[in-house]
Parts: sequence; C-alpha cells; structure tokens
Amino acid sequence: MSQASKRTRRLVPLGLLVVVGLIGGLMANPRKGYKPQQPIFFQHSKMAAEPDWRTDANGNLVNQGGYGIPCRYCHTMPYEGRHSTLPSTDICMNCHSVVGQDKEWVLVLKEYWERGEPIPWIKVHDLPDFVYYDHSAHLNSLDADGQPKLDCVDCHEDVENHSVVEVRTRFNMGWCLDCHRKPEMAAPTDCITCHR
Amino acid sequence: MIDKHNESTSASESHSIPDDATLAAAGIDRREFMRVSSALAAAAAITAGGCSPPAENSLAFTQRPENLNQHGKLKVYATVLDGAPVLVRCREGRPIGIVPSPDNPSARGLTVRSHAALLDLYDPDRATGPLFVQRGAAAVAESRWGTIGAEVVRRLREKQGDVVLLTGPLSGPGTSALLSELIGSLNLRHVVYQPLAQGVAGEAWRAAGAGGAPPRPRLDRAALIVGFGAEFLDLPADGTEREFAKHRAPNAEGGMSRFIQLEGRLTLTGANADRRVRVRDSELATVAAALAHEVIVERNVGPLAGDTALAEILAPFPAAAEQAGVSRSLLAELAEELLAARGRAAVLAGGSASHGANGPTLEAATVLLNASLGNYDGSGFEPGAGDDEGNGGLAALHALAGEMRDGKVSTLIIAGTNPVYDAPLDFAEALASVDLVVSLNDRIDETAALADYLAPASHELESWGDERIGPGLVALRQPVIRPLYSTHGLLDILVAWGAAAGAGGAVAAADALTKPTEEGGEAPEQQSGAYHYLRAHWLSSVVSTPAQFEESLRLGHHTVLTTGRGQNPPTTEGLAGLVASIGAPAPPASELELQLYPHFALHDGRAGNNGWLQELPDPVTRLTWGCAVSIAPSRFDALGLQNGDLVTLGVGEASVELPAYRHAGMHADQIAVPLGFGRTHCGEVGADVGVNAFGLQAVEGTRVLRSGLSVELKQASGHRELASAQGADVIDRVRRPIVPLTTLSAYRTDPKAGTEQFHGGPSIWKEHPYETQRWGMAIDLSKCSGCGKCTLACQAENNIPVVGRQGIIDGREMSWMRIDRYYDAPAKEGGWGDDVYDAPLEVVEEPVTVFEPMLCQHCENAPCETVCPFNATMHSEDGLNQQIYNRCVGTRYCANNCPFKVRRYNWYEYSKPQNAAFFTLFQPVLERHAELNTRGRMQMKNNPEVTVRSRGVMEKCSFCVQRIREARAEAIRTGSPGVLAEGTVVPACVESCPADAIVFGDINDPHSRVSKLAADPRAMRLLDSTGVKPVISYLTKVRNDIV
Repeated sequence: MSQASKRTRRLVPLGLLVVVGLIGGLMANPRKGYKPQQPIFFQHSKMAAEPDWRTDANGNLVNQGGYGIPCRYCHTMPYEGRHSTLPSTDICMNCHSVVGQDKEWVLVLKEYWERGEPIPWIKVHDLPDFVYYDHSAHLNSLDADGQPKLDCVDCHEDVENHSVVEVRTRFNMGWCLDCHRKPEMAAPTDCITCHR
Repeated sequence: MIDKHNESTSASESHSIPDDATLAAAGIDRREFMRVSSALAAAAAITAGGCSPPAENSLAFTQRPENLNQHGKLKVYATVLDGAPVLVRCREGRPIGIVPSPDNPSARGLTVRSHAALLDLYDPDRATGPLFVQRGAAAVAESRWGTIGAEVVRRLREKQGDVVLLTGPLSGPGTSALLSELIGSLNLRHVVYQPLAQGVAGEAWRAAGAGGAPPRPRLDRAALIVGFGAEFLDLPADGTEREFAKHRAPNAEGGMSRFIQLEGRLTLTGANADRRVRVRDSELATVAAALAHEVIVERNVGPLAGDTALAEILAPFPAAAEQAGVSRSLLAELAEELLAARGRAAVLAGGSASHGANGPTLEAATVLLNASLGNYDGSGFEPGAGDDEGNGGLAALHALAGEMRDGKVSTLIIAGTNPVYDAPLDFAEALASVDLVVSLNDRIDETAALADYLAPASHELESWGDERIGPGLVALRQPVIRPLYSTHGLLDILVAWGAAAGAGGAVAAADALTKPTEEGGEAPEQQSGAYHYLRAHWLSSVVSTPAQFEESLRLGHHTVLTTGRGQNPPTTEGLAGLVASIGAPAPPASELELQLYPHFALHDGRAGNNGWLQELPDPVTRLTWGCAVSIAPSRFDALGLQNGDLVTLGVGEASVELPAYRHAGMHADQIAVPLGFGRTHCGEVGADVGVNAFGLQAVEGTRVLRSGLSVELKQASGHRELASAQGADVIDRVRRPIVPLTTLSAYRTDPKAGTEQFHGGPSIWKEHPYETQRWGMAIDLSKCSGCGKCTLACQAENNIPVVGRQGIIDGREMSWMRIDRYYDAPAKEGGWGDDVYDAPLEVVEEPVTVFEPMLCQHCENAPCETVCPFNATMHSEDGLNQQIYNRCVGTRYCANNCPFKVRRYNWYEYSKPQNAAFFTLFQPVLERHAELNTRGRMQMKNNPEVTVRSRGVMEKCSFCVQRIREARAEAIRTGSPGVLAEGTVVPACVESCPADAIVFGDINDPHSRVSKLAADPRAMRLLDSTGVKPVISYLTKVRNDIV
C-alpha cells in the first residue's frame, strides 16, 4: 500500500462526516420553523386572535387578546380562486386611517400607502413554483355530511396566535400526501394534481 | 521550493486543478485528489446552494381594483381582430391567449395571424414611444407626441398642399365616420393600399351586370366545388375552413361534398381536394373558358345557351385546353359533374392564378360558369360581405405616388401599410418629395425608416376601434391591457389630432376626456378619445340604447339591420358583354412561369417579427424560418438539385437567389415563391429571414401581376439548408399503416376500410381501472384540413418556446402538437421497396395528401412510463399520461421509447436568457434563443397555469391538464364535484380547430361525443399492434373516388 493511499485513508472519517452531514441536511425540513422578518411588524395575535377580556388591577375590563378579525376580512378570496391573496393596503387603511395613528409600524404602513407602493411582504407559507395549489378547491370540499373538510387552520395552524407568522407544520409534499391519502378525504394523489 | 510554489500558483490561476508535481509534493496522487476533491465540491455546492427555499416577496395591490374578486382566474374579453370576433383570455391583467369566439355570428374565422397576435403585443422590437427618425439620415432620436401632433395639426388646418392619410383597409361604422368627418372638415385625404388586394373577382362580377360585392361561396351547402387555383383554405379569412369541413366526413348530414381542384402549385386547398389536375396558372383561364364552352355551347346550359357570338368566342378554347394538358374527355367529365350538381355547385377561382395576366379571363369564366349553372340562385353562394374587397389596389397608390413626386402632397401620414417593402413602384423616391412624413406603424419598418417621425400606434389589444365583420354585422374592439409603452391607439391619435385641428365630433370626444362622467370618471376607457368618439357614434347611428352598446362590448359583436343588400345576380346582357371581353386563348408567355403566393402565416409580411408564425411549419412544404423556390419534382430531378441548393430566378430585370425545394404536385412548367419574407426593418426575430419576393411582381397598367410571370431559372453555386419540420414525405401504408385513409366506395362496402393495421399479441399488462372518468380524444382526418391553428393555440397555451431556425434544423422543435403531412404511396403490385421513402415521381407528381395531427396519445400502456427510471412519467387515475417536470432528470429514455415521437426535450434554457459571454462562447445559438424568447416583455405572454420548463427536462402534451384541474376546482366551488360534464373541459387545440375535427371528452361516458366517435367503425388507434393502446382515435380520411 502506497504512502499516498494511507494518507487518503486518514481522510475517510472526514468524508464519512461530510456524507452524514449531507444526508442529515437533506432530511432536515427547510420549511418548518420558517419565520422571516417582515417589513412591518404585523402581529396576527393582535388582530386575529380571539378577544380575551380581563379585569386589571384597577378593576377595568381590558382586552388581553386580539380583535378577532376573521381571516377573510383581509385574505379575501380563498373560496373564490387559487389564491387566498394578501390584503391590499387599502384594507389595512380601512381601520388605520383612524386608529393607531401614532404607532411606529402604522406610520411605516402609512408611508407605503402614501407612496402608493406595495408592501414587500415575504411569503411565509411558500410552496415551490412547480406546485399548483388551489385554496378554493380545498376550502369548498365537503365531506359526506356536507361539512367542510378543511379550514384555514388545518394547514396554517393557529396562525391567529402567532405574533410573527411561522410555518409550524412540515409543509412539504409528504405532509400534503398524508392528508390526500386519508380515505375520508377522497382526494386525488395523481402527481399532475399539483405538478403540471 | 520556490519553483514549486510558483508552479502551483500559476496552475491554480489558470485551471484551479493542481498539476502532478504539486500533488506529489503534498503526497497525494492525482486520482485520489480528484476523488476527494469532487466529494468535497459536491458537499460545498449543496451547502452553499442551501436547502431552504429563497425568500419570495408577495406584493399586493395598494388599492385593489373594483370588481377584482377572483384572483388567479381567467378573465375573458370579447374583441375583434382581423375582421373576426375573438375572445382574449387574460390573467392578472395580461392577455395570455386569443381564441375564437364561440358565438360567432359572422362567417369570419380567426386567422393564423390573429392567433399569434399575442406575441406581437409583447414584441420587444416595437417602438416604445414617438421617435424622430430623420428619414434615416441621422441617428434616431426620441421625440414627443406633442411635437409631432403640433406639426401635423398645423398642416391639417392650413391649405398649403394636401395632407394624405395612407392606410390599409379600414372598416367599422365609427372608424369610417371619424375618417369622413376628418376628411370633410380638414385638409385631409384618405388613400387605401393593401399589397394583396383582391380586386379581380369584383371586376368580373360587376362586368357581368351584377351589382354589389361578389358573392361568398357557401361551402357547407355546395355539393360540388370546382376550384381553378382557388386558395380558400390557404388564406382562410372568411370562415371557409369551418364551412368546408362540415361536409367532408362521409357521415355528414346531406352527404359528402366533392372538391375538384385545378392548379399549378400544390396548395393547402389543393391538398384537400378529392381530385387534382395540374394546370399551370397562366393556362387556368383557358381551361376554365374551355369548360364554359363545354357546358354552355356543347350542352346548351344556361341563359347564354344558343348564343352564336359566344360559341364563336369560346370555340378555340377546348383545343387550347388540350394543349394545356386538359383533354376533352376530362372537360366532359367535369361538365357532367357540374351539370349533375346544378345550383348546388360552386366554381371558384381567386387564388394567385387570378392575379396573373389572364386573371380577368379566369374570373370571367368562373362567373360565366356559375351563372350558367344557376349556382348564384342556388345554395352554393350567399351575398358577399365586403364592399372593400376591391379597395386598396395599386391604382390609388400609383396616383398618390405621382402626386407626391409632383409636390402636391405636403404631408403623408402612413398607418398600417408598408409600401416601401411591398409596393411594385419606387415609393421611397416618391417619399423624398413630401415635406413631412409621419408613420403611425408600430416600429421603424421599411417605410417608417424613410419618414420624419414615427408616432407608434398601440397594438390592437391595447386600443379602441370597430370593424365590420360581415353583412349587417359590426364589432367593437376594446383594449384588454393598457398600452405597454408610450403609444396611443390609431383612432386615439386621429381623434386627438382632429380635435386639435377643430373637427367637430373629435372635439366633442376630446372634451369628454376631461369631463367627469356619471360612471365616476376613473375607468381607463374614460381616458381614450377613441372610446368617446366610438360610443357617441354608435349611440347615434348603430345601437339605440347605452345598454345595447355595453351588450355589444360584452358579446363582441352587434347585428345591424340592413335594408336590402344591394346585390343582384348577373344579367344575360351583362354575361354576353363579359364573354366579349374574353378574347382569344392566350398561350403561356414562357416555357417556365413563376407564381408569387402569400405565405399562409406571414401573409404580406406584416407579422414578420413574430416567432410563432415564422416557426409554424407551412402545411404543405413543412418549411419554417425562410422561403424556398418550389420546383416540380420532375424538373428538380432533371436539374440534379438537392433540397436547399441555391438557384437564381430572373424575372425581367429583377433577380433573386433562393434555395430550391422539391415541391410535390407542382406543374412541371411552374415554380413558386412565397411572399412576406425578407423584411429588413422589422426587428431581431424576423430580420433577413428569407428573401423579399415582392420585387419580382410585374405591373400591367395598374394591375399587379403575381402569377404567370416569365422566369428564368438558373442553378447557382452554394447551398442553404432548409429548416424543415418533417423528414419523411411519403408513406407506404402497406408497410407503415399509421394513417387511416380510404375512398368513399371502399368505405361504403366496408366502413372499416383504411383502418387496417398489424395485429399484435396478447397484452401482459394489467388494465387500469379508470373508476371515474377517462379523458380521450378523437380526431377526424376527413375534417382536418391541416391548417396548423391547433399547433399555434397549443404553443400559446402551454408556454412552448421558439427554437429558431437552427433549432428546427437540429430537430429540436418543442411543439407539443404537430401536423404530419404525408403523400400516400398508391398500392403497387409487389409492394414498394425502400426507395419509396425517397419520394419517387410516381408518388409525388400527383400526390394524395393526408394530414395527421400528432400529439401525445396518452397510451393506456404507455411505453414511456415503463422505461422512466425516476417515475417522472406515469398514468393518472383519469387516464392521462403525466409528465412531472420536477422529477424528470432528463435521461430521455421515454422519448426514445415513444413510438409517436411526441416527447420534446429541453436541450436549452429557453426561458432564461443564457446569453452571457461565457455561455455563448461555447453555444452561440444561445444568443438567438434569448432574442426569440426572453427579450423585453416577451415572457408576459406566459400562461401562469403551466410550468415554464427549464433545461434538461422532457415535456409533451398534457391534454391541457391545467384546464381539467380548473374545471375540477370550479366543480368543487359550485358544489358539484365528481364527474365533469361533457364540454366543461376544452383543450386549446379543440378550441382553436375551425373544422371541429378534434373532439375531447370522457370515454368512460358512453354518451359522450368522443366515446361515440371512438366506437365509430372509422376509428383507428395508431400502432395498435404494439399494444400501447392509445386513447386517441383517428377517424379515417375518406376521399371521394375519382369518378
């Protein structure tokens, strides 16, 4: 055995480590826990969470929860078409032309509004571009009893309680198929359902 | 050590791979170094590339437009293009497809050019704003709308020298009203010019004492069609394909129509004929007159029967026809057929042959034949559509050029026409004598290059307008997108200039622009002067209520009640006069004659910068990206030519050098060259593709001659490869039974005739269950005329790239749907040898042509599925052969195993510009790909419902699965999931087929149209012996027997 290949042998553990690291990296879920910083510190937990009225030390009734704004007040079209859509700025301004005028992030919002510039939100629940997902087909599906099979929270988890929106599900193909394969869902599992 | 150090530095600089000496110093031999370093490189690449998806922005509207309540869904608008009502499919405000309007009351069908107009909209070579062209003298500078407007308006007001508006044909009530108002109140004249004007038929019609426009043939009612060089399928602007196809299937209601064509070049029309007789263009008139003699004189038919003067004039024609190769017995046969179908026949001309020196005689003879047979009174014709048919001939342009030279024209405004490129006179020289030339075309074309200013008009999809689409039918054109660049609609420009110059109606329309209206004054149409003008005119003269105006916008058309059509058939005296004009039979002027014919897609060359049209194979020659001289096989062989060998054509003083093409079915003494190529100023896509043959036209008085031209054909040295989309021409159905074809008599004896094929063994595959639906298709070859619109529609719907000339030559076309054109080798005793594939004269001199649309057959036992090592292609539960791009790694096993050759591999990244210097160093063709596919806003045309494929993946027809999925989603939304009803899914090819030859549906449903057709005895599943079980049924092309 030559000198050279002995030295190479010493590299084998290193190589093994690389391989293990690679396999681990590939198996790690890149989406779960995805929590990008948004241009505006918008808290779903303030807006969408259920109100939580508490009596404070002074005996005043104070809302410790959110305003309970329903999903579809802002995300207007999940039942109509493929996209649930992010709210256009004018929807924010429905309230914020009046309320919260002095708050830091409302001022940022108003700057975008006055410049007529769209807010550069970062997609959180972001599927790859080769996936054709249809919100309406999921939300309008009814089970045998005529009840909706799915609600927003089934995929987006309790997003109304997130202060910064985060992907808390696996949000990958296996996770989609877990549901599509359930007999009660009666959902198609052909590749072309989503990839075309 | 120093040496070694130096060496290693230089090595890493130049190659980054250390040389052996360095490695030896490190104690590692080279092979091991490579082994370790490649593993590390892979690891580094994966770590650096990362597994996390890139952060993507999601930009919402600032203010959501009103009525936007369906995001990610199609919006469809009705408008009008090229005189045909169309629907424009829009997504997120972008037009992504143009399809025929399903409730089209007019006879007009969508032209190939209208289908491809989408690409013109996003053409990056359009002018992006007004330009100061300076007559090509200096560099082009930017200009302003105000500057150009002020110059023009001053001249419209003053009375110093005429202002002339030179346009292509314009129709539509509002447009005409605006023009006549401007002409009436301002110093303006209007001249119409179109290079391919159709005036001859009208002249003969009127000379026969008839009134109005020449009648339009109703091919769906005619039992017999006799064409003398007719080209109604080649240039199908008026819906003839649709009507023709109705009676071409053997089980058509009212029986199959017969079609006999006499012509010199095998046209698409002739390729669809039951019987074809080769007669050169210049002798067609003689043959038509001889047939008139046979019918009127010999058989005493019609009002002129027994007229001795007529008999005397026509007497020499039968002998002359015999000289032309049409025997008296053939004439007798034709006459017999015509007499048997009296009143239900249509004798047609109007093709390129009518634009030769003998064209008037030919047209006169057809009028004579039709009138004598009583066809005009019968069902074979209906009153014609246009009074602008004869409009725009050379005479008006000739007069205008004369006035320009005499200095009588101070200002020339050119819109929608390009005479420097296509007119047979020196228009460039005439332009020099005009004070101010403003072009309103969309780019610096050949004419605009010699203008002072270019004031670019918007694309039709960006502007308001109206058009007449048939007798008593008008349509509004509405914009479906705001102008992409700083352009204005043609009518907007005219309204603005007219208003500034003080023309009443235009002023009112311009005033309406600034006034707030009851609708709120915010809608985009409020910003268009043309909209206000059209609306005012339509409300006063076309429709009666604003609601009707809105309705015609929604429908895309409006019916106007016309009082009397002003059309009367030829009179006996008129016909007698017509005969007197016929004269003696004119022998051909030369041994060899030339025909110049409008290219089926590029037409007069206007859309020369459209990659889709350049790449759409000619239905007959199958050539793309350029033109060739069509030479008859016998002459071609005698000259010892090969396809692509250069030849020189000399016509008078003009001469051009072109590659030769062996064109089956050509008359030996005729050659042909397509028009519409050789644009020099149209943009990067079409620049210098082919040769401009307009220069070979001859002029006789004020008539342009495009056929029967004396020509000298000489071999030149050199070769230019033809970009042909099809390798094989001839099919021997005994050895390759892949096209069902038979004759009517054989079909009557055995309805399965023509579908015979080999039988395979039993299948070892398990059958698929198909529990709910199974999608299938049937294609009726009897109806298919081979026009290629399905190919275009598929290209637009499925984001199929343009591969360019080199791509076609290399066999890398990407079209998912193609139309194969075969010449059937007639049955021969002992069978054909392999030489049949060299297209022997016995087959291609007088070929039997059959067109076969070919797309993924979605086989039940698809051979592609079994060989894919990655399971990237597999069967879906509703019978689709799925291709999953993100799984595909590009082994190409599937394409090699596909017997139909319908799978396309992305050899290049067409969707992203790869024209960086580094890449193009190795692959210069990449620069062309970027030019053709990704420049400017071209990618806005892409359908967001279909993946834009990248390099290294296979792709193929998906049966427009995006439409199936959308139909499924819609069914779920409306609460009726499950089986989709018939007609809810319409793939792009089915939608675009004018002949209704393609039917798509659920073959699990025994009542669906497609399963009935699949059960028809004519149905043939191709290559059944291989056991692949295609789901597409081809229905036999049944041809009438040749008597």
